Amino acid sequence: MANARRLALFHYWVAFGLFLPAVLLGAWQMLMRSPLPAPLDDPDAYYASVTLHGTAMAYAVTTFFAMGFGYAVVATSLDRALRGAMAAWIGFAVCIAGTVMATATVLAGQATVLYTFYPPLLASPWYYFGAFLLIGGSMVWVVLMVVNMAAWKRDNPGRPVPLAMFAITAAAFLWAWAAAGVLIELAGILLPRAFGWGDLIDAALGRTLFSVTLHAIVYFWLMPAYIGFYTLLPQAAGGRLYSDTMGRLTFIMFLVFSLPVGMHHLFADPEHGSGFKFLQSFLTFLVVLPTLLTVFSIAATLEIAGRLRGGRGLFGWIAALPWSEPMVLAVGLSLVMLGLGGFGGLINMSYAMNMMIHNTSWVTAHFHLIFGGAVVIMYFAIAYEMWPRITSKPLRSKHLACVQLWLWFWGMLITTIPWHIAGLMGQPRRVAIFDYSIPMVAQTGTLVIISVIGGFMLLLSAILLIVILVRSHFGERAIIAPLSYALAVNPPRRVPAALNSFALWNSIVLVMMVVAYGYPIGQFFFLRSHSVPAVEATSRSGSVK
Amino acid sequence: MSVMPRDRRLFQLHHPWAWIGWGSTAALLVLGIVLGFVVLSPAQQNEPALGPWSAICRALGLTADTAPAGAPQPPLRTPSRVAWTSATLAQIAGGNSEHGAFIAGSCTACHGEQGVSQSGQFPTLAGIDAGITYKQLDDFRAGKREWGAMNGIAQALSAQDSADVAAYFASRTGGLLPIKGESFRSGHTLRETNPAIRLAFAGDPLRGIPPCAACHGPAAAKLGAPPLARQHAAYIERQLAAFSQGSRQNDINQQMRVIAKQLTPDEMRAIAEFYGRAANEQTAGAVAPALSDSRLTPGGGVAIQRR
Repeated sequence: MANARRLALFHYWVAFGLFLPAVLLGAWQMLMRSPLPAPLDDPDAYYASVTLHGTAMAYAVTTFFAMGFGYAVVATSLDRALRGAMAAWIGFAVCIAGTVMATATVLAGQATVLYTFYPPLLASPWYYFGAFLLIGGSMVWVVLMVVNMAAWKRDNPGRPVPLAMFAITAAAFLWAWAAAGVLIELAGILLPRAFGWGDLIDAALGRTLFSVTLHAIVYFWLMPAYIGFYTLLPQAAGGRLYSDTMGRLTFIMFLVFSLPVGMHHLFADPEHGSGFKFLQSFLTFLVVLPTLLTVFSIAATLEIAGRLRGGRGLFGWIAALPWSEPMVLAVGLSLVMLGLGGFGGLINMSYAMNMMIHNTSWVTAHFHLIFGGAVVIMYFAIAYEMWPRITSKPLRSKHLACVQLWLWFWGMLITTIPWHIAGLMGQPRRVAIFDYSIPMVAQTGTLVIISVIGGFMLLLSAILLIVILVRSHFGERAIIAPLSYALAVNPPRRVPAALNSFALWNSIVLVMMVVAYGYPIGQFFFLRSHSVPAVEATSRSGSVK
Repeated sequence: MSVMPRDRRLFQLHHPWAWIGWGSTAALLVLGIVLGFVVLSPAQQNEPALGPWSAICRALGLTADTAPAGAPQPPLRTPSRVAWTSATLAQIAGGNSEHGAFIAGSCTACHGEQGVSQSGQFPTLAGIDAGITYKQLDDFRAGKREWGAMNGIAQALSAQDSADVAAYFASRTGGLLPIKGESFRSGHTLRETNPAIRLAFAGDPLRGIPPCAACHGPAAAKLGAPPLARQHAAYIERQLAAFSQGSRQNDINQQMRVIAKQLTPDEMRAIAEFYGRAANEQTAGAVAPALSDSRLTPGGGVAIQRR
């Protein structure tokens, strides 16, 4: 078990170690986009920075965090040693090697294609290879989660898998399905072209494969946050989970509904007909089901805790909740941001409304609010909850932790709300320099400056996070109650086999993926070719290669 | 707590969870497909005459019915016969410059020794990427670009001859500066006061004009876009005018026609002089005789204060 804890700790350190410089880059990018003077005022540096910021935040920080969280969940929820710890360390090493390789290539100015790759843009092969190692290495973790859950089921026949373990295994399956798209794109399209085999690049197929990843990855990021909602929040609030079955249903629905939907990122792409775009847009709406189920369960869980603590009346239970607990505070703030971001998401996924905000800053603001806000604030809370248990060193100051969470919350709102508005006014995304002397662009100047202020609040909050973790790390050892996961108010007497395994749900995912993506991907192999010359995108050249 | 021992029967339809799972999956997929392909796709088209089968094909992305019902079609006009396919690129890459040198003997009269033109009437060809010369020759041959003698000359050449002569001119030094992919200079060049430098390096977003340098170098190169530094200013200016007036139409995606239409005559002259003059300053010694003509190009327009 000590091994699993050390694994978790190493993964967390890498995740948060990368997080701080990535936030710094983000703050500089905000400054660069604004009418204010920015140091290193250079468009090439801007695109390199956006690539690094995205690669670090979307691939590295999240994957390392989820992996560390998974190992911690195995050790604490199953209450036994992790099977395959050696493989886990090897996977960790591969992911580190990939991260270093990708980062070094971007820093060398050899990759400015952004983390979403955008073929026919082409970067140095070492960037793609690094991304491949990082994502591919995390597949070791996927296998270990599944193996550990299966082994536990074998050794405990008739007992339901603990909710936390069930949920992290759902996340692992989700990630395996999602990552398949980007791994096939990297291995089949980008790497061969980057190494110089062939002249052309099938940009349309590459974009379609990436869309398989691009939306499900968001739910992979979200999973640790939701696991925190269901299994860590109830204790911290001083109550019990409202329903164990709702938790299982939620994670199963996320697995099923987050995958056949990625084409809503391709509404403006010409390589697909309107029928499949509509079908996937329609399926995207079903993600609302597990989200609303969760909002209901968590509100009920909090109400139970509030009433147990003596809250009375229609809303009295809210005030009775222990808001000075970082976990409770983070969940409250996270739900606010999830609500705002979620409604924005409904606009993005609507086939018709999407056109109004397509490729504008609205989209960038949306995913910062929902991922950088609602999800990442839960990563902080999980870190505050788990760090002391792993290191046996208590958090020095819960008050400071709450200050950090509030600062992140307000920073994120101040950054993203004006950013949304700028997008509605037509500000395009992925643009390094805006000419604020143009009257139409000048209208957005004030909004962008407000976003810059929010960006620096986020930077301050990120610094505070590292300070809190480091201070606690070098603090006094103390005995801390081991991590325990929430029990439901009415622990289920019987769990249906379907809610204790993934065979049925993975089969359903397979069928949905074949229906939703079979033709859109298959058409490239029998219709006319979509290949085009690749455009090298490094900061040294932009030539056709 | 216990688990119902039903693992093995999860895939039999009389099992309640299998029934719920597969039933709702099938219902959702059928509903989505019916709405997307049968209900919405005819509604999306403005033509009421569109039959259900054609509508479904369109929803799949297959445009079997390319002609809108009954509408008269303007005659099809393509800007060029050249497409940058693998086959084209392979033919260009395989050009034989020795055979090209033999053909190039007949170019000398206008385009100068080794493709370094002495007159603003004729462009310098030395140092131009082979793909560009190849495309222009094909465009002249097909009548997609018109310039008196060149149409006849190009018709006498085969596609392979074009590739060969293109390879020869690409290998000549002392003409245009090949695009090396240097970095953009730092800074908000939109704030540049000199209009030629601003247009060359930052474009004009308000008018939808991208920077010249984005395709013609020095920072980036696009297939089909020639290098400009050291080209004759008079020639560049004349081509911009031709694009803007529509007398030259062989830019595949209309990019040059769109850009040139937005430029004022003063701006065209300033850009042409910027590229022409940039050449003179850099190469005052070595290739001065070859460029003497362009240095004599009458000035006027906007003076270049600093580079």
